Amino acid sequence: MVTGRMRGRVRVRTAVLYTALTVGLVAVAGPFLWTVLGSFKPDAEIRRDPPTFLPAEWIGGNYAALFERMDVVTVTINSVVVASVVVASNLLFCSLVAYALTKLDFAGGRLVFGLVLLQMMVPGIVLLIPQFVTIASLNLADTYAGIVLPGLVTPLGVFMMRQFMADIPDELVQAARVDGSGEFRIFFQIVMPLCKPVLATLGLITFMGSWNAFLWPAVVAQHKEMYTLPVALASLSGRDSVHYGMLLAGVVVVITPVLLLFVALQRYFVQGVATAGLK
Amino acid sequence: MAVQTPARAPADRRGARPRGRAAPRPPGKAGKAWLFSTPFLLVFGLMYAMPLIAGLVMGFTDMRSTDVRNPLAVNFVGLENYERLFQDEAMRRAATNTLFFVVTTTPLTIAAGLAAAMLLDSGITRLRTFFRLGYYLPYVTSIIGIAVAWRLLLDPQAGLVNDLLRTVGIDGPAWLLDERTALPSLVLMTAWRNFGFDMVVFLAALQSVPRELYEAAQVDGAGTWARFRRITVPMLRPALLFCGVYSAAGFLQFLEEPLVMTRGGPLNSTLSASLAIYNQFGFGNYGYGAAAATVLFTVIAAFSFAQFRWLRPRT
Amino acid sequence: MKRYTTGSLALLTAGLVALAGCGRASDGGAAEAPKDVDTSAAATGTLSVWAMGTEGEALASFAKQFETANPGIKVTVTPVGWDVAHDKITASIAGRSTPDVSMIGSTWMGELAKSGAVDPTPGNVIDKAAFFPSAWGTVEVDGTAYGVPWYVETRVLYYRKDLADKAGVAPPATWDETKTFVKALQKAGAEQGMQLNYTVGSWQEILPLVWQQGGSITGADGKWTFDTPELVKALEVQRSYFEEGLASNKVDPASFPASFFKGDVGAYYSGPWMIAGMEKDGGPGFAEKFGVAPYPKGSASGTSFIGGSDLVVFKDSANRDAAWKFVRWLSEPATQAKWYSAVKALPSVQAAWELPEVSADERVAVFGEQLKDAKTPPPFPTWDQISKAIDQEVEKVALGKTSPKDAAKAIQAQADAVGTGL
Repeated sequence: MVTGRMRGRVRVRTAVLYTALTVGLVAVAGPFLWTVLGSFKPDAEIRRDPPTFLPAEWIGGNYAALFERMDVVTVTINSVVVASVVVASNLLFCSLVAYALTKLDFAGGRLVFGLVLLQMMVPGIVLLIPQFVTIASLNLADTYAGIVLPGLVTPLGVFMMRQFMADIPDELVQAARVDGSGEFRIFFQIVMPLCKPVLATLGLITFMGSWNAFLWPAVVAQHKEMYTLPVALASLSGRDSVHYGMLLAGVVVVITPVLLLFVALQRYFVQGVATAGLK
Repeated sequence: MAVQTPARAPADRRGARPRGRAAPRPPGKAGKAWLFSTPFLLVFGLMYAMPLIAGLVMGFTDMRSTDVRNPLAVNFVGLENYERLFQDEAMRRAATNTLFFVVTTTPLTIAAGLAAAMLLDSGITRLRTFFRLGYYLPYVTSIIGIAVAWRLLLDPQAGLVNDLLRTVGIDGPAWLLDERTALPSLVLMTAWRNFGFDMVVFLAALQSVPRELYEAAQVDGAGTWARFRRITVPMLRPALLFCGVYSAAGFLQFLEEPLVMTRGGPLNSTLSASLAIYNQFGFGNYGYGAAAATVLFTVIAAFSFAQFRWLRPRT
Repeated sequence: MKRYTTGSLALLTAGLVALAGCGRASDGGAAEAPKDVDTSAAATGTLSVWAMGTEGEALASFAKQFETANPGIKVTVTPVGWDVAHDKITASIAGRSTPDVSMIGSTWMGELAKSGAVDPTPGNVIDKAAFFPSAWGTVEVDGTAYGVPWYVETRVLYYRKDLADKAGVAPPATWDETKTFVKALQKAGAEQGMQLNYTVGSWQEILPLVWQQGGSITGADGKWTFDTPELVKALEVQRSYFEEGLASNKVDPASFPASFFKGDVGAYYSGPWMIAGMEKDGGPGFAEKFGVAPYPKGSASGTSFIGGSDLVVFKDSANRDAAWKFVRWLSEPATQAKWYSAVKALPSVQAAWELPEVSADERVAVFGEQLKDAKTPPPFPTWDQISKAIDQEVEKVALGKTSPKDAAKAIQAQADAVGTGL
């Protein structure tokens, strides 16, 4: 009797919880769903009053128009190359700095960390012109190198890695030193393998940043063959006419890879945020 | 700029000094340490040091975009840019808007994140990952893309939001077009976009709260609210502080949302400090823009410094 | 590495020199004389060209014709998004990595000319007299022309012909008639008789009202004049439409043009690109339901706003002669007419309007007529900022936050503070 009532209460509680979660999810994910559905509607329907949620008639024309006006293959390759270089470089170089800051505690550490903080706090727009002048003087305008250079070692990455590595017991490192291992060996064989969750997190965050970056690649790339996905998308919008359906299709194309990556890495991601951000 | 740093990231709670903990400084490691730091220092030196100095100096000149070909030929104007800044109506409006934005968005984001985390942590097992993923969605997408969708959704006539409100008999406002609702709309949108991050942090923190505490409290007859106030909040204090302070630092640089959604309008009601600076650069007023950026930088730096002091574990 | 050091050092010393008090030259840079282009041979080498929006997409294949005519040349066109175009051009000037030729928004000319990055127009390849004088006005800064007007756009009145017919009214010729006309459209079913722009870009609707009274926004001394009876009157006229319920100040600009298709909006002012938009998106038969008419006249004239895009050649171009030859080719009447067929951009060259591609459409002819009486704001480097200040005050007036008189004063105060930038 008693157990029966309790079970009933648990069931009600579960139902309430799931309802709340579902309502929340609809509110949170609704705009995405609407975007995806909208990319299959003709322009007139997107702007129709009263609005529709499901397309009255599914059309693929928006994607066709997008792929016709944009060299999707080239710009996607560019985006992948740029993002891969930025991610790989951040994973390695941020970790190196973090290792120096936490395990090689040295006199210049405060200075280096101060510079990291400084870089993080500067409003970016001030840097645009001077950075481009530098890139142009190095003859790197219109190159992959020019696009990736300012983002090769992000302060955020140094920050996260430092946070994580600080919690790796120094005894591990010391023991390896006693065994005669060099610092590079310790770094690659002992410390880095322990950093997997935070590396996954950092990888995802830098990928997002690089994949979505817009202004800098648009300024550095001088030919459309060097454009990244968001830059190419932006070059399609005319001054006075907006092709909403194609725009939404473009949004779906940009967002999808990030989502897939996130789904693949999300286990590590939660772990990474938890350990790097807070413990 | 090249890699847009996401609005917020895990913070450092331990202060600017790298801690040595038990480890004595390994002898002869300084050379290695510098070597390990070289990639960062190179990029910093090449891409940031000079531009930073240039930006700082620019703030004391009358440089305009028409001078970029001959940056040497500008006049030193002392503190004139800074004096103008404090008399500039738009700049003052931007400062107030930014303050309003920070003090409303921060608690809202935390509340939403905490609510989602507690729902997910309330013992459900089925579909847990699915929901967590769904709630995290907004955080991983680019604002540029999702802004298009939001603008169409918030359209007063043909937008889905007002259409839904109409079905329950509410005549929805003009959202982004009304001076009174534009900034609150952006507050809601930003909270929507960012709460997933706080949620993950809270989830992690909640998992470290011993279940026995709740059980003991239940035995003592404490209600749900009492348990929340007496156990959950105190146990989550570090997480709450972290989310609060870190979000606030990120929200101080609030730029993308007004830029792509409202361009600062209507009537400057959504003009943020960063957007005002962005506009000045767009107008070609490099000297003035750089001065404003220096002020914003100082505020952020002061705030971050306070954050380090505040969040440093009391020992 | 050496070049890098030079570049950054230049920036650093820029600061130091400025601190030391050496400043800009006091003469402000005397006007430079254009150098002639050697026209004896065909264009050779390579040319890089930037263009925005639809033009950027279409120009690449269009330029093939130039390559055919000049076998030794290779033209590379890079489409640039409007959102970044200004930043990108400024950065390329600073980094000395400009293309050879670029399309620019006509209101950017003052700024670019002042920066010293664009080449003055050589008189031996470009004939000023071939262009609409109003269009040529967009490339002339302080008496020197930089580049050429590529294509133009001007504003006229669009209206629902079916509603006007139903109400038995003809398109208005004067300000007074406009109001009667709009009221009639409203009676015939249009919720808002007229859609007026009071947000971003509203200066493009306010300035014509100033000019139509014979007013001007610059004085003989070359300074801004906004606190004038003409501007006050212009703001009052626009406000009266909101006050009398003939136009709405509570609609999302994005609901347009759907609202015009539905018949909620009876009339609006806009540019030539709307013709194609109306015909394409209005649905079957809509092409018959709307008409265009010249701007209604004020006390002095029916002057409209002229905008569009200019073409410039950068001084740092390594292939200057070929660049100008390309610009000359784009300004030939035949090319301009073909370009009109390709992207519906109105020719800036008067002779092109006689060619069948352009003269066929009677709606387009209205624009041709309007171009004879159209003006552009002065090409001062600070125009962009001034125009934002106007937009801001226009919005305040439309929303009832300030009076036309105070708005005019406020615009003047800001314009005085900002200056002309010359």
